[in-house]
Amino acid sequence: MAKPKSDLLQGTLDLLVLKTLELEPMHGWGISQRIQQISESVLQVNQGSLYPALHRLEEQGWIRSSWGASENNRQARFYELTPRGRKQLADETANWERLSVAVGRILRTA
Amino acid sequence: MTPIASIFRFLFRRQRFEAGNDAELRFHMERQIEENIRRGMTPEEARREARLLMGGMEQIKEECRDARTGRTIETMMQDFRYAIRVLLRNPGFTTMAVITLALGIGANTAIFSVVYGVLLRPLPFQRGGQLVVLHQEASAVNVPDIPFSVHEVTDYRDGNHTLSSVVEHHTMTFLLIGKDSAERVETAVVSANFFDVLGVRPLMGRTFVASDEAHGADAVLVLSYKYWQTRLHGDPNIVGTVFHMNNRPHTVIGVLPALPQYPVESDVYMPTSQCPFRSAPGFIANRQARMMTVFGRLKPDVKLTSAQADLSTIARQLTRAYPEAYPKGAGYGIKVEALQEDLTRRARSIFLVLLGAAGLVLLIACANVANLFLARLLKLERELAVRAALGASRFRLMRQLLSESMLLSLAGGTVGLLLAPVAMRLLMKFAERFTTRADEIRLDWPILVFTLLISLVTGLLFGLAPAFSSIRHPNDALKQAGGRATMSRGRERLRGALVLAQVAVSFMLLIGAGLMIRSFVRLQEQYPGFQPERLLTLRITPSFSHYAQTSQLQAMWDNLLRHVRGIGGVQSAALCTNFPFNPGGIQSGPSNATFEIEGRPVSKGELAPLVDNTIVSDGYFETIRQPLLSGRTFTPHDDQNAKPVAVINQTMARHRWPTEEPIGKHVRFQGGNGGWMTVVGVVGDAQEYGLGRKVLDEIYTPLDQSGFAGNLVVRTTFQPTNLAPLVRAAIRDVDPLLAVDQISTVESLEQESITSPRVMTILMGLFAVLATVVSACGIAAVMALAVSQRSHELGLRMALGAQRNAIVTMVVRQGLALAIGGTAIGIAGALVMTRLLASLLYDTSPTDLLTFAGISALFLTVAAVASFIPARQVTSIDPLIALRQE
Repeated sequence: MAKPKSDLLQGTLDLLVLKTLELEPMHGWGISQRIQQISESVLQVNQGSLYPALHRLEEQGWIRSSWGASENNRQARFYELTPRGRKQLADETANWERLSVAVGRILRTA
Repeated sequence: MTPIASIFRFLFRRQRFEAGNDAELRFHMERQIEENIRRGMTPEEARREARLLMGGMEQIKEECRDARTGRTIETMMQDFRYAIRVLLRNPGFTTMAVITLALGIGANTAIFSVVYGVLLRPLPFQRGGQLVVLHQEASAVNVPDIPFSVHEVTDYRDGNHTLSSVVEHHTMTFLLIGKDSAERVETAVVSANFFDVLGVRPLMGRTFVASDEAHGADAVLVLSYKYWQTRLHGDPNIVGTVFHMNNRPHTVIGVLPALPQYPVESDVYMPTSQCPFRSAPGFIANRQARMMTVFGRLKPDVKLTSAQADLSTIARQLTRAYPEAYPKGAGYGIKVEALQEDLTRRARSIFLVLLGAAGLVLLIACANVANLFLARLLKLERELAVRAALGASRFRLMRQLLSESMLLSLAGGTVGLLLAPVAMRLLMKFAERFTTRADEIRLDWPILVFTLLISLVTGLLFGLAPAFSSIRHPNDALKQAGGRATMSRGRERLRGALVLAQVAVSFMLLIGAGLMIRSFVRLQEQYPGFQPERLLTLRITPSFSHYAQTSQLQAMWDNLLRHVRGIGGVQSAALCTNFPFNPGGIQSGPSNATFEIEGRPVSKGELAPLVDNTIVSDGYFETIRQPLLSGRTFTPHDDQNAKPVAVINQTMARHRWPTEEPIGKHVRFQGGNGGWMTVVGVVGDAQEYGLGRKVLDEIYTPLDQSGFAGNLVVRTTFQPTNLAPLVRAAIRDVDPLLAVDQISTVESLEQESITSPRVMTILMGLFAVLATVVSACGIAAVMALAVSQRSHELGLRMALGAQRNAIVTMVVRQGLALAIGGTAIGIAGALVMTRLLASLLYDTSPTDLLTFAGISALFLTVAAVASFIPARQVTSIDPLIALRQE
């Protein structure tokens, strides 16, 4: 854990969770592992914010949960995107890209 | 999952929710441990490391719960459950608060329901907002409402560009003769399209069509719902029934629905061509024969102001074209007014004053409950501080206090809602005197919403101030370890201010009530100008077709008077068109006849003087005992064969002949067929149109020279109502088809004529007493708390030798200081507010010194007693115990 870590802004975590679920339904542990792996451990997902975020997203109707068997055949709660969640993901992604282009431009020129 | 399902699952499937969460987090933990072992840690290390990474399990669960919408509802329920427990633990406080609030909210609900029903509720007609009333006025001589003549109705109907239709209405009293009955009916005579313009559809049959109004059409009638129900027992086959009226058969063609009627309640309706007066050629031809009220409907999207401009143009044209009908000096004009405005004008000021008074009572109730709340918070201070220290947010604590106040005010509102209908029934009777809309008063949705709203606002009002003041400094509160809680200076100031406001507002209400009482006493003490005791009165309507000749009618009247005067117990009897306190006369108002004095001709285009004319038989002044000041009264010899004579009242004598002797002068009415009449007598002024009214110039003319007078007044030697059956029998002997109604005594009519000021006075008095009791309790409560808080200090003073009496005086003085401060503010407020009452007062200035002084004295006495009671507790303080309390 020597690499520099970044704290996640709340909205960003929601976006990452939605993105992670885009391909397939996943359980909480899987989501945290996936984010960590893909970001090459730059982004550490804290359990204390991941689970409340999952509850929040479910309350918004963007994801839904169901119980199923995990890889090692144990009961786990799987989350999947709802159609509304898919739309939200598209909106948020576009938003994020616009924002990061703008911030990048400022950082380069200013 | 839908939001509602999610909330439901969170609130009611809680165990499953929690179990799922636990399992999920446990799963996460186990996977973390496995991962750690895979990386080469020992099982113990792996477990420890995983736990460290996870952080506080309970904290995560709590945050997961907070992420749910149902959570807000859950905490709210918790707050309410807690509030209920707290309120039930303090039954005294709760009962006091709920009763105070129920009285305040109940009073407001009742009065608002009247205000809403009468002033605000939309008229029950199709697009009622488009309906307007037309008023002709003579502004220069202060006559705001002149009826219309047939010519005028036609001119305005055909000449305007802003009204889609114009209809006329007037009322007449006719005799409706059925198979075996003769009954006097209030008849509305209306244009054929009257009901179409109002948008009223018949309950049964049909309403009028244009052909019904044609000259020579068969006579038809439409019955009002009330008349059909009460007089004809709701006969389902009534349509087609034939009655006789004005010597013609009239067929019932329809019955109206149970809507309130505008502009007045009538029994039956007929088209204009059927009214013998309205259809007389002479009446139609005469531009100055005015009798009708005129309504219209605005064309779509036309504003009242443009209709006003449009009709004013017609009025100017009329003034130019007919100068003799619209004299220059009169200031003739026309006014268009929304029907809703017009119907409720008289009720407006009275009910708004009452609503204002009720609002003030509620404010006082609020202040009082806020004070009780503050006192209770004092005991709660340490508990709140501890909870704040343990991490309860300020917002959460405040929310909990507010849920207590909301619960109280909702409970108060509910009890108030149960009380309101009782008050409403009384208020409806009262409202009937001012407007035909009284029937529309009921407890329905808008009223319930109003009650809910004022309950919530009330709860916020009395809950917020204490809640804010209490959660300021939890640290300070905790520092007072183990000691008595004392009141913070800020809160003490808040309580003082609340009591001050209560005192000031209730003082204002008391002043209002005081002024009303004083005005009412003045009104009742007024000399009516005659002796109303033991006077029986009743109304007689002959069938005009049976007495076509004036001489036949006069012979019948003479015969009738002879019969009645012959009854044992009758001292004297007379006939008249109107007598003082006659409800019919009060309703229709003075006759406003124009007249002329010999030798003082009225030049063309100038306005002739106005006078009220009453026709009386011989013996009238003697019967009601209206004093004769000079000359003589009428005798049986003043008939058709004798010289025309008149008697005038004192006001007219002073007004028209200030320096001369009026007796022997000659006067005549304009436009009538009568010649000059000689003034033969002057009588004292009588309050013809009710106590407190301005006395008008009055000309009395003798019955036998003038024609018709349907009111009989009888002076009896004993209880007049006992004589009523005998009088009725005597009348039946004369002619069984004479309709007799409105049997009453003049004394009871006098009482009835002042019912509205009486009810108004009682209501204001009730509000004021309520307010005073509530604020006296407020003063007592504040002083009691002050004494118990200062018992240590007072004990110390006593130990040092202070006399108990001196201490009692000190406490009372402090209570009085509050009362005097509040009274001072109240006086200032009352001087401004009572101006609103001026129009309701009779012969009483809104700044009446005696009332202000008397009420101040009364109020300060109440305040002194209210602070003396808690001050007496001082005497029970034992200096030893008080000192040891620390």
